[in-house]
Amino acid sequence: MIYVFNLVYNINRFIFAVKYNQLYSTTQFNLMEDKILNEKESLELISQMIRNSQQRLKEGNGKPFLIFGYITIAISMIVYSLLTLTQSNLSHLAWFGIPVIGFVIMYLSKKNEVKYSKTYLDRIVINIWTVIGASVMFVSIAAIFVRIPVMPLLILLLGIATTLTGLTIRFKPVIFCGVFGMASCVLPYVMNGYNQVLMYAICIFVMMVIPGHILHLKSRN
Amino acid sequence: MFKELNPLLHSELRLAIMSILISVEEADFLYIKEKTGASAGNISVQIEKLSEAGYIRVDKGFVGKRTRTVCSLTESGAKAFAEYVEAIKSYLEVK
Repeated sequence: MIYVFNLVYNINRFIFAVKYNQLYSTTQFNLMEDKILNEKESLELISQMIRNSQQRLKEGNGKPFLIFGYITIAISMIVYSLLTLTQSNLSHLAWFGIPVIGFVIMYLSKKNEVKYSKTYLDRIVINIWTVIGASVMFVSIAAIFVRIPVMPLLILLLGIATTLTGLTIRFKPVIFCGVFGMASCVLPYVMNGYNQVLMYAICIFVMMVIPGHILHLKSRN
Repeated sequence: MFKELNPLLHSELRLAIMSILISVEEADFLYIKEKTGASAGNISVQIEKLSEAGYIRVDKGFVGKRTRTVCSLTESGAKAFAEYVEAIKSYLEVK
Protein backbone atom coordinates (compact mmCIF):
# COMPACT_ATOMS: atom_id res chain seq x y z
CA MET A 1 0.00 0.00 0.00
CA ILE A 2 2.87 2.38 0.87
CA TYR A 3 4.33 1.62 -2.56
CA VAL A 4 1.10 2.76 -4.25
CA PHE A 5 0.91 5.89 -2.06
CA ASN A 6 4.47 6.75 -3.12
CA LEU A 7 3.62 6.14 -6.73
CA VAL A 8 0.54 8.40 -6.63
CA TYR A 9 2.61 11.02 -4.80
CA ASN A 10 5.31 10.85 -7.49
CA ILE A 11 2.73 11.13 -10.26
CA ASN A 12 1.20 14.19 -8.60
CA ARG A 13 4.66 15.73 -8.19
CA PHE A 14 5.37 14.98 -11.82
CA ILE A 15 2.07 16.54 -12.92
CA PHE A 16 2.93 19.65 -10.90
CA ALA A 17 6.33 19.83 -12.59
CA VAL A 18 4.76 19.55 -16.02
CA LYS A 19 2.20 22.25 -15.19
CA TYR A 20 5.03 24.44 -13.97
CA ASN A 21 6.86 23.97 -17.27
CA GLN A 22 3.75 25.11 -19.20
CA LEU A 23 3.46 21.78 -20.95
CA TYR A 24 0.00 21.25 -19.63
CA SER A 25 -3.28 22.00 -21.39
CA THR A 26 -6.85 20.90 -20.81
CA THR A 27 -7.76 18.22 -23.30
CA GLN A 28 -11.20 16.65 -23.32
CA PHE A 29 -10.78 12.90 -23.71
CA ASN A 30 -13.27 10.87 -25.66
CA LEU A 31 -12.69 7.38 -24.38
CA MET A 32 -15.30 5.91 -26.70
CA GLU A 33 -12.58 5.81 -29.34
CA ASP A 34 -9.51 4.00 -28.10
CA LYS A 35 -6.84 6.09 -29.77
CA ILE A 36 -3.09 6.09 -29.21
CA LEU A 37 -1.99 9.06 -27.14
CA ASN A 38 1.04 11.28 -27.30
CA GLU A 39 3.10 11.67 -24.11
CA LYS A 40 1.46 14.91 -23.02
CA GLU A 41 -2.03 13.51 -23.50
CA SER A 42 -1.07 10.38 -21.55
CA LEU A 43 -0.03 12.50 -18.61
CA GLU A 44 -3.21 14.57 -18.74
CA LEU A 45 -5.35 11.45 -18.89
CA ILE A 46 -3.55 9.93 -15.87
CA SER A 47 -3.99 13.11 -13.83
CA GLN A 48 -7.64 13.48 -14.85
CA MET A 49 -8.50 9.90 -13.87
CA ILE A 50 -6.63 10.13 -10.56
CA ARG A 51 -8.38 13.42 -9.77
CA ASN A 52 -11.78 11.90 -10.58
CA SER A 53 -11.18 8.87 -8.37
CA GLN A 54 -9.58 10.54 -5.37
CA GLN A 55 -12.67 11.53 -3.42
CA ARG A 56 -12.29 12.08 0.28
CA LEU A 57 -16.04 12.28 0.73
CA LYS A 58 -18.23 9.75 -1.00
CA GLU A 59 -21.97 9.33 -0.98
CA GLY A 60 -22.78 6.96 1.87
CA ASN A 61 -19.86 8.07 4.08
CA GLY A 62 -22.26 9.19 6.80
CA LYS A 63 -24.34 6.00 6.67
CA PRO A 64 -22.50 3.94 9.36
CA PHE A 65 -22.53 6.95 11.73
CA LEU A 66 -26.29 7.38 11.25
CA ILE A 67 -27.15 3.68 11.48
CA PHE A 68 -25.10 2.98 14.62
CA GLY A 69 -25.85 6.39 16.14
CA TYR A 70 -29.63 6.09 15.88
CA ILE A 71 -29.62 2.42 16.94
CA THR A 72 -27.52 3.27 20.03
CA ILE A 73 -29.92 6.08 20.95
CA ALA A 74 -32.97 3.79 20.46
CA ILE A 75 -31.38 1.02 22.55
CA SER A 76 -30.43 3.60 25.23
CA MET A 77 -34.11 4.56 25.48
CA ILE A 78 -35.09 0.88 25.73
CA VAL A 79 -32.46 0.23 28.44
CA TYR A 80 -33.54 3.35 30.34
CA SER A 81 -37.21 2.32 30.17
CA LEU A 82 -36.42 -1.25 31.26
CA LEU A 83 -34.24 -0.04 34.14
CA THR A 84 -36.87 2.36 35.45
CA LEU A 85 -39.64 -0.22 35.06
CA THR A 86 -37.91 -3.37 36.29
CA GLN A 87 -34.88 -1.97 38.18
CA SER A 88 -33.06 -5.11 37.07
CA ASN A 89 -29.47 -5.04 35.87
CA LEU A 90 -30.42 -7.65 33.28
CA SER A 91 -31.86 -4.70 31.31
CA HIS A 92 -28.28 -3.92 30.28
CA LEU A 93 -28.23 -7.03 28.10
CA ALA A 94 -30.28 -5.02 25.58
CA TRP A 95 -27.05 -3.14 24.70
CA PHE A 96 -25.92 -6.21 22.78
CA GLY A 97 -28.74 -5.50 20.32
CA ILE A 98 -26.65 -2.62 18.90
CA PRO A 99 -24.08 -4.72 16.98
CA VAL A 100 -26.68 -7.30 15.94
CA ILE A 101 -29.21 -4.80 14.52
CA GLY A 102 -26.45 -2.47 13.26
CA PHE A 103 -24.62 -5.10 11.22
CA VAL A 104 -27.86 -6.52 9.75
CA ILE A 105 -28.94 -3.03 8.58
CA MET A 106 -25.42 -2.26 7.28
CA TYR A 107 -25.37 -5.55 5.36
CA LEU A 108 -28.80 -4.92 3.83
CA SER A 109 -27.93 -1.35 2.85
CA LYS A 110 -24.63 -2.40 1.22
CA LYS A 111 -26.09 -5.46 -0.47
CA ASN A 112 -27.48 -3.72 -3.52
CA GLU A 113 -24.86 -0.99 -3.77
CA VAL A 114 -23.78 -0.37 -7.37
CA LYS A 115 -20.87 1.67 -8.79
CA TYR A 116 -18.67 0.44 -6.00
CA SER A 117 -15.09 1.49 -5.37
CA LYS A 118 -12.88 1.15 -2.35
CA THR A 119 -10.09 3.63 -1.83
CA TYR A 120 -7.08 3.34 0.49
CA LEU A 121 -8.73 5.91 2.79
CA ASP A 122 -11.82 3.67 2.96
CA ARG A 123 -9.62 0.80 4.12
CA ILE A 124 -7.99 2.94 6.83
CA VAL A 125 -11.42 4.09 8.11
CA ILE A 126 -12.74 0.49 8.06
CA ASN A 127 -9.66 -0.66 10.02
CA ILE A 128 -10.10 2.11 12.61
CA TRP A 129 -13.74 1.13 13.21
CA THR A 130 -12.95 -2.61 13.22
CA VAL A 131 -10.31 -2.17 15.95
CA ILE A 132 -12.39 0.27 18.01
CA GLY A 133 -15.57 -1.78 17.45
CA ALA A 134 -13.80 -4.90 18.75
CA SER A 135 -12.53 -2.92 21.78
CA VAL A 136 -16.09 -1.71 22.46
CA MET A 137 -17.28 -5.33 22.38
CA PHE A 138 -14.47 -6.49 24.74
CA VAL A 139 -15.23 -3.69 27.21
CA SER A 140 -18.99 -4.41 27.05
CA ILE A 141 -18.49 -8.15 27.64
CA ALA A 142 -15.96 -7.48 30.43
CA ALA A 143 -18.50 -5.19 32.12
CA ILE A 144 -20.78 -8.23 32.68
CA PHE A 145 -18.15 -9.82 34.93
CA VAL A 146 -16.10 -6.91 36.31
CA ARG A 147 -17.28 -3.61 37.70
CA ILE A 148 -15.75 -1.04 35.34
CA PRO A 149 -16.81 2.49 34.29
CA VAL A 150 -18.19 1.16 31.03
CA MET A 151 -19.98 4.26 29.66
CA PRO A 152 -17.01 6.66 29.90
CA LEU A 153 -14.79 4.01 28.32
CA LEU A 154 -17.20 3.45 25.43
CA ILE A 155 -17.65 7.18 24.81
CA LEU A 156 -13.87 7.64 24.87
CA LEU A 157 -13.32 4.77 22.42
CA LEU A 158 -16.06 5.94 20.04
CA GLY A 159 -14.75 9.52 20.33
CA ILE A 160 -11.27 8.33 19.34
CA ALA A 161 -12.68 6.45 16.32
CA THR A 162 -14.75 9.46 15.22
CA THR A 163 -11.77 11.83 15.58
CA LEU A 164 -9.47 9.48 13.65
CA THR A 165 -12.09 9.15 10.90
CA GLY A 166 -12.37 12.95 10.68
CA LEU A 167 -8.58 13.30 10.50
CA THR A 168 -8.32 10.60 7.83
CA ILE A 169 -10.95 12.10 5.53
CA ARG A 170 -9.83 15.62 6.53
CA PHE A 171 -13.30 16.81 7.51
CA LYS A 172 -13.41 19.26 10.41
CA PRO A 173 -17.03 18.77 11.65
CA VAL A 174 -16.28 15.07 12.25
CA ILE A 175 -13.03 15.93 14.06
CA PHE A 176 -14.81 18.44 16.34
CA CYS A 177 -17.61 16.01 17.18
CA GLY A 178 -15.06 13.28 17.92
CA VAL A 179 -13.02 15.55 20.18
CA PHE A 180 -16.25 16.55 21.95
CA GLY A 181 -16.89 12.84 22.50
CA MET A 182 -13.44 12.24 23.97
CA ALA A 183 -13.72 15.29 26.22
CA SER A 184 -17.23 14.41 27.38
CA CYS A 185 -16.43 10.84 28.38
CA VAL A 186 -17.00 11.62 32.07
CA LEU A 187 -20.35 13.37 31.47
CA PRO A 188 -22.48 10.29 32.28
CA TYR A 189 -21.10 10.51 35.84
CA VAL A 190 -22.49 14.03 36.21
CA MET A 191 -25.94 12.41 36.25
CA ASN A 192 -27.27 10.17 38.96
CA GLY A 193 -28.48 6.59 38.64
CA TYR A 194 -30.29 5.61 35.48
CA ASN A 195 -30.06 9.14 34.05
CA GLN A 196 -26.48 8.21 33.11
CA VAL A 197 -27.97 6.22 30.23
CA LEU A 198 -29.73 9.37 28.96
CA MET A 199 -26.48 11.35 29.11
CA TYR A 200 -24.78 8.53 27.19
CA ALA A 201 -27.46 8.84 24.47
CA ILE A 202 -26.88 12.62 24.26
CA CYS A 203 -23.11 12.10 23.87
CA ILE A 204 -23.73 9.56 21.09
CA PHE A 205 -26.10 12.03 19.38
CA VAL A 206 -23.41 14.73 19.28
CA MET A 207 -20.58 12.33 18.47
CA MET A 208 -22.21 10.15 15.80
CA VAL A 209 -25.61 11.39 14.60
CA ILE A 210 -24.62 15.05 14.01
CA PRO A 211 -21.41 14.23 12.06
CA GLY A 212 -23.36 11.49 10.23
CA HIS A 213 -25.90 14.01 8.94
CA ILE A 214 -23.23 16.59 8.05
CA LEU A 215 -21.23 13.94 6.15
CA HIS A 216 -24.35 12.71 4.40
CA LEU A 217 -25.33 16.20 3.25
CA LYS A 218 -21.80 17.17 2.26
CA SER A 219 -21.11 13.98 0.30
CA ARG A 220 -24.42 14.31 -1.57
CA ASN A 221 -23.48 17.82 -2.65
CA MET B 1 18.01 8.28 -24.26
CA PHE B 2 14.25 7.78 -24.44
CA LYS B 3 12.73 4.83 -22.65
CA GLU B 4 10.31 2.71 -24.61
CA LEU B 5 6.64 3.25 -23.74
CA ASN B 6 4.78 0.12 -22.77
CA PRO B 7 2.41 -0.47 -25.76
CA LEU B 8 -0.14 -2.15 -23.53
CA LEU B 9 -0.49 0.97 -21.42
CA HIS B 10 -0.02 3.47 -24.23
CA SER B 11 -3.65 3.27 -25.28
CA GLU B 12 -6.27 5.74 -24.09
CA LEU B 13 -8.79 3.45 -22.42
CA ARG B 14 -6.30 0.99 -20.91
CA LEU B 15 -4.31 3.86 -19.46
CA ALA B 16 -7.52 5.38 -18.05
CA ILE B 17 -8.45 2.06 -16.38
CA MET B 18 -4.96 1.69 -14.91
CA SER B 19 -5.02 5.31 -13.66
CA ILE B 20 -8.32 4.72 -11.88
CA LEU B 21 -7.07 1.51 -10.30
CA ILE B 22 -3.84 3.15 -9.11
CA SER B 23 -5.84 5.63 -7.04
CA VAL B 24 -8.39 3.21 -5.57
CA GLU B 25 -7.82 -0.14 -3.96
CA GLU B 26 -10.54 -1.83 -5.99
CA ALA B 27 -13.32 -0.69 -8.31
CA ASP B 28 -16.22 -2.44 -9.93
CA PHE B 29 -17.03 -2.46 -13.61
CA LEU B 30 -19.82 0.13 -13.34
CA TYR B 31 -17.54 2.53 -11.47
CA ILE B 32 -14.91 2.26 -14.22
CA LYS B 33 -17.62 2.72 -16.85
CA GLU B 34 -18.89 5.85 -15.11
CA LYS B 35 -15.43 7.39 -14.68
CA THR B 36 -14.22 6.66 -18.22
CA GLY B 37 -17.51 7.19 -20.06
CA ALA B 38 -16.56 4.35 -22.43
CA SER B 39 -18.88 1.59 -23.64
CA ALA B 40 -19.25 -1.63 -21.61
CA GLY B 41 -18.05 -3.76 -24.53
CA ASN B 42 -14.91 -1.71 -25.03
CA ILE B 43 -14.09 -1.73 -21.30
CA SER B 44 -14.58 -5.52 -21.16
CA VAL B 45 -12.09 -6.03 -23.99
CA GLN B 46 -9.47 -3.76 -22.40
CA ILE B 47 -9.93 -5.29 -18.94
CA GLU B 48 -9.41 -8.72 -20.48
CA LYS B 49 -6.14 -7.54 -22.11
CA LEU B 50 -4.85 -6.00 -18.87
CA SER B 51 -5.84 -9.09 -16.93
CA GLU B 52 -4.10 -11.40 -19.40
CA ALA B 53 -0.94 -9.32 -19.01
CA GLY B 54 -1.20 -9.80 -15.22
CA TYR B 55 -1.57 -6.05 -14.62
CA ILE B 56 -4.98 -6.25 -12.97
CA ARG B 57 -6.91 -8.84 -11.00
CA VAL B 58 -10.53 -9.45 -11.91
CA ASP B 59 -12.91 -10.97 -9.35
CA LYS B 60 -16.41 -11.91 -10.36
CA GLY B 61 -19.18 -12.24 -7.83
CA PHE B 62 -22.86 -11.53 -7.27
CA VAL B 63 -24.77 -8.57 -5.82
CA GLY B 64 -28.29 -9.86 -5.35
CA LYS B 65 -29.07 -11.39 -8.72
CA ARG B 66 -26.66 -9.22 -10.67
CA THR B 67 -23.06 -10.15 -11.41
CA ARG B 68 -20.37 -7.83 -10.09
CA THR B 69 -16.90 -7.58 -11.61
CA VAL B 70 -14.38 -6.04 -9.26
CA CYS B 71 -10.95 -5.02 -10.58
CA SER B 72 -7.80 -4.22 -8.67
CA LEU B 73 -4.21 -3.51 -9.62
CA THR B 74 -1.62 -6.25 -9.15
CA GLU B 75 1.94 -5.62 -8.00
CA SER B 76 3.29 -6.10 -11.53
CA GLY B 77 0.58 -3.71 -12.79
CA ALA B 78 1.69 -1.03 -10.33
CA LYS B 79 5.30 -1.61 -11.37
CA ALA B 80 4.46 -1.37 -15.09
CA PHE B 81 2.50 1.82 -14.43
CA ALA B 82 5.43 3.35 -12.52
CA GLU B 83 7.78 2.46 -15.37
CA TYR B 84 5.36 3.98 -17.87
CA VAL B 85 5.26 7.24 -15.90
CA GLU B 86 9.07 7.23 -15.71
CA ALA B 87 9.20 6.76 -19.50
CA ILE B 88 6.86 9.70 -20.12
CA LYS B 89 9.02 11.78 -17.80
CA SER B 90 12.03 11.12 -20.01
CA TYR B 91 10.04 12.16 -23.11
CA LEU B 92 8.85 15.38 -21.55
CA GLU B 93 12.23 16.02 -19.93
CA VAL B 94 10.76 16.66 -16.50
CA LYS B 95 13.27 16.40 -13.66
